[in-house]
Amino acid sequence: MKEYQLGEFEEIVLLTVAILYNEAYGVSIRQEIESRLKRKVSVSALQTALRRMEKKGYLESNFGESTAIRGGKRKRYFRVTKYGKKALEYSKDARMQLWEAIPNVAFDFDK
Amino acid sequence: MDNLKSHPPAWSTKFLKWFCKDDYYEDIQGDLEEEFRILSGGSPSMRARSWYNWQIVRLFRPSMMKKPKTQDSIEKETTMFKSYLKIGFRNLLKYRSSTVINVIGLSTGLAAFVMIALFVIDEFSYDRNHEHAESIYRVTVKNYTSEGTLSRHWAFASAGHARRLKEDYSDVTHATRFFPWAFPDLQYKEQKFPAEPVIFADDDVFDIFSFKFIIGDPKTALNDLYSLILTEETAIKIFGNDWKDQDILGETITLSRSGQSASFKVTGVMEDMPDQQHFHFDYLAPIRFVEMIMGEQAANNVGGNYNWMTFVRMSPNTDIPKFTDQVNDEFWDKYIGTFRSGAEARDFYDFSFQPLLDIHLRSNLEGEYETNGSIQQVYIFSIVGILLLLVACVNYMNLATSHYSRRTKEVGVRKVVGAYKRSLVNQFLTESTLVAVISFPLAILFIYLGLPYINEFVDKNLVFNPIAQLDLLIGLIVLLIMVGFVAGLYPAFFLSKMNLVQALKGEQVINASKWNFRSWLVTFQYVVTIALIFSILVIEKQMKYIQNTNPGYQKEQILFLGLSRNINNLDVFKREMLNHPNVESAAYSSRIPTGRLADSAGSAFFKGDSLVPSNFRLPMVGADEDFLKVYEIPLIAGENFTREQDMDSDSVGYYIINRAAAEAFGFNDPNDIVGRRLSYGRYNGQTNQTGQTYRIGRILGVMENFHFESMHSQIVPMVLLKRDGFRNVISLKIRPSDIQSTLKHVEETWAQFDAENPVNYRFVDERFNDQYQQEQRLSTMIKVFTVIAIVIGCLGLIGMVGFVIETRIKEIGIRKVLGASTQNIWLLVSNRFLILIVIAFVISLPMTYWLMDGWLENFVYRTNISVMVIVAPVILAAVLTLLAISYQTFRASIVNPVECLKDE
Repeated sequence: MKEYQLGEFEEIVLLTVAILYNEAYGVSIRQEIESRLKRKVSVSALQTALRRMEKKGYLESNFGESTAIRGGKRKRYFRVTKYGKKALEYSKDARMQLWEAIPNVAFDFDK
Repeated sequence: MDNLKSHPPAWSTKFLKWFCKDDYYEDIQGDLEEEFRILSGGSPSMRARSWYNWQIVRLFRPSMMKKPKTQDSIEKETTMFKSYLKIGFRNLLKYRSSTVINVIGLSTGLAAFVMIALFVIDEFSYDRNHEHAESIYRVTVKNYTSEGTLSRHWAFASAGHARRLKEDYSDVTHATRFFPWAFPDLQYKEQKFPAEPVIFADDDVFDIFSFKFIIGDPKTALNDLYSLILTEETAIKIFGNDWKDQDILGETITLSRSGQSASFKVTGVMEDMPDQQHFHFDYLAPIRFVEMIMGEQAANNVGGNYNWMTFVRMSPNTDIPKFTDQVNDEFWDKYIGTFRSGAEARDFYDFSFQPLLDIHLRSNLEGEYETNGSIQQVYIFSIVGILLLLVACVNYMNLATSHYSRRTKEVGVRKVVGAYKRSLVNQFLTESTLVAVISFPLAILFIYLGLPYINEFVDKNLVFNPIAQLDLLIGLIVLLIMVGFVAGLYPAFFLSKMNLVQALKGEQVINASKWNFRSWLVTFQYVVTIALIFSILVIEKQMKYIQNTNPGYQKEQILFLGLSRNINNLDVFKREMLNHPNVESAAYSSRIPTGRLADSAGSAFFKGDSLVPSNFRLPMVGADEDFLKVYEIPLIAGENFTREQDMDSDSVGYYIINRAAAEAFGFNDPNDIVGRRLSYGRYNGQTNQTGQTYRIGRILGVMENFHFESMHSQIVPMVLLKRDGFRNVISLKIRPSDIQSTLKHVEETWAQFDAENPVNYRFVDERFNDQYQQEQRLSTMIKVFTVIAIVIGCLGLIGMVGFVIETRIKEIGIRKVLGASTQNIWLLVSNRFLILIVIAFVISLPMTYWLMDGWLENFVYRTNISVMVIVAPVILAAVLTLLAISYQTFRASIVNPVECLKDE
């Protein structure tokens, strides 16, 4: 558990980066999260999460092309690392394990 | 794309650029600008602008911010520092042997220095615990002969001096005398303590000395005539460990002596007197009691009877020399005037006021209460200590600097890679301080290990307590860092300013100039080593001289016992003592050789019929007819005493003088003085108490000169008196066989005559050696520390030679290839060191010679400083050096030249 510490927001960001695959950079990640999950994400929250996960080794990044609309600044593309994938799998497994452990009657609210 | 026309607010972009990490700025700002454009849709939009600003404000958080500059550089520095340390440690491990030499040398030197410092500090702290120490003086009296030369200088004054000085001079605010009432026996209830050192003192004593009371009040403690103050130690001795729980104030203690006894009441308990005080008393009682016993006249005596240790407290700012002159000008005229002989008392006596703080180190008068220290000894120790420390430091610098010059290539590479000069300097300073810091805990360990031995030796209780002696500790740390710093400074600046090409080629630039900094260091080390060896040789020679010089009497196999009051029938006692096959002979005397010639009286000699007072001091010793036999002192003219003679019962003087006395009276042939009349002391034709008139005595015989006192003083004229009242000590000449049974006989015989006091015997030769105990100790201590200094120096030398050979290994290789022999190489390496030794010799010898000659001046009978003593240190230094060189050269010369030449 300690090995793969992943906050809820971090998990969302990580998954989104994976969804976008080759197109994951600041703007696209934010828009993807906002459109899929209908929740507001500030640039600072996103950037903090990205950088933190990069430091932890879940993500890697490299500069991409620059465009005029960006004022000539280059994009930074993020990719999920193997270690990041493991972290995601771990977190998914943990949840599945918990789901499966729930007895059927627990959610049987009709009765 | 027309939405390029709108721009995000410039000032908040600038703000972002200012605080955001450079690494993050580009893409984050790019993202923001992209979204800003999307949001604004091409036209200036308030919403897009505020969104942009708001996002930037929210980005203003620590994780996004740049690290402050200073923090950045500290990080860089510590990283570099870590690297210096790492490389430093690697180098220490690489040159293990020189590291060990360095650390051991430095820490031993430091430890020895600290121990000496503790000793010196202790010596200087004597008597300082008294609040008024600065204004306390001891009243001492100088006694002159009629010719005006100083004859005696007592540590004492007369009984009547203290009171009169205080009454007559307002500068004397307090005065007290200390008088030991010949050690009375002490009794408390059933317990008896024989011969306790009870000291009687005046009421002013507590205004002069700050003795701390545990119970009782110093103001009233001596009020009662029969009051007795104890020290904590004696309180425990008498009342047991729980004396504080008993109400001991007012308890009765009986003092008795010679049949008289008096009951005293305990009025106080003082703390024990500290070790650092020049006298130690166990009991204090009011001196009025002694005055009462002795009578008015004895207690008011102003000339003679110098037995009263007298202290005065002067008002601050008194001009002591002026005061002394004034007192000497007035006092003797006022209270004595002229003697019966017509001489003026002022010509014979002088007061001398000794500062309390000078007594322990600078006073060695007659009758000191305890053996004092000597300032000379303290100076010698201080010099040795400082030299030791210097040698250790120089040694360290020497090895360190030579060690660094091996690393020119490293410096070259560092420079090529881009090291700043500053960082090179830092690197070497760090490394050199490292060893110094490692040595420190080791030095402390050595101190703890060594101090018990030193204590045993100097008979002190020195304690090393780094917390209490924080200043010493801090001083040492500062010193260490300085040593490291200075040691590092030379290589640091030398290496760092080195030409890059030279450095990389590995040329030995440091050794290019033959006479460099290091040569001075080595020379210094030789100077100190030679000086120290010279000093111990001189001390050693003087000690040998004293011990081997014949004192003029037999000192082996003679036992002596001080008699007690309980032994009354001395003739029987002596006979009983002789009643053992191993006791050859026995003699009574008032003093024995190795003691001091402290008793004297005026003398006069008859030339024809007229009596001429002698103008020299003639001390006397009471002796019986066997004295000369026991001590094997030859009689060179006349006859010995006979058993029947006794000056008291016969009312006539019986004298044997020594050759020096005969010469002083003007007789070079001792035979001529035998039978002539001599008047000594009160045996001069006056009437004694019983109404008999003494007849003028005659000189019965002349004995050979001998050293009654130690070799420090000259043989003086002396006279033996045959007077039975002077029998205080018995000397027994015993046979060397079966000493155990002889001693048993002595003990048993003593017990028959005195069951109360234990027998107390010693051998004369032991006491003879005691006279030179201080010199013995001094020489042993100096020897120990000198050996340490020499060992440190030699270690350094071996390191140096090794280094020299290492740097010249290629030269040696080439020479060997060209046919040089081992001797050639040996000469090549050693001649430089020999030159240094010669220079050191020239510097150190005159200085040391002067110092040691001064020390020898203390002895009247002194050895001379022979050529041997002068040459020996140099030869020793040279031999040690050559040994070190030989060892290293041998190693270098057996190496195949290929080995040292093959790599470039």
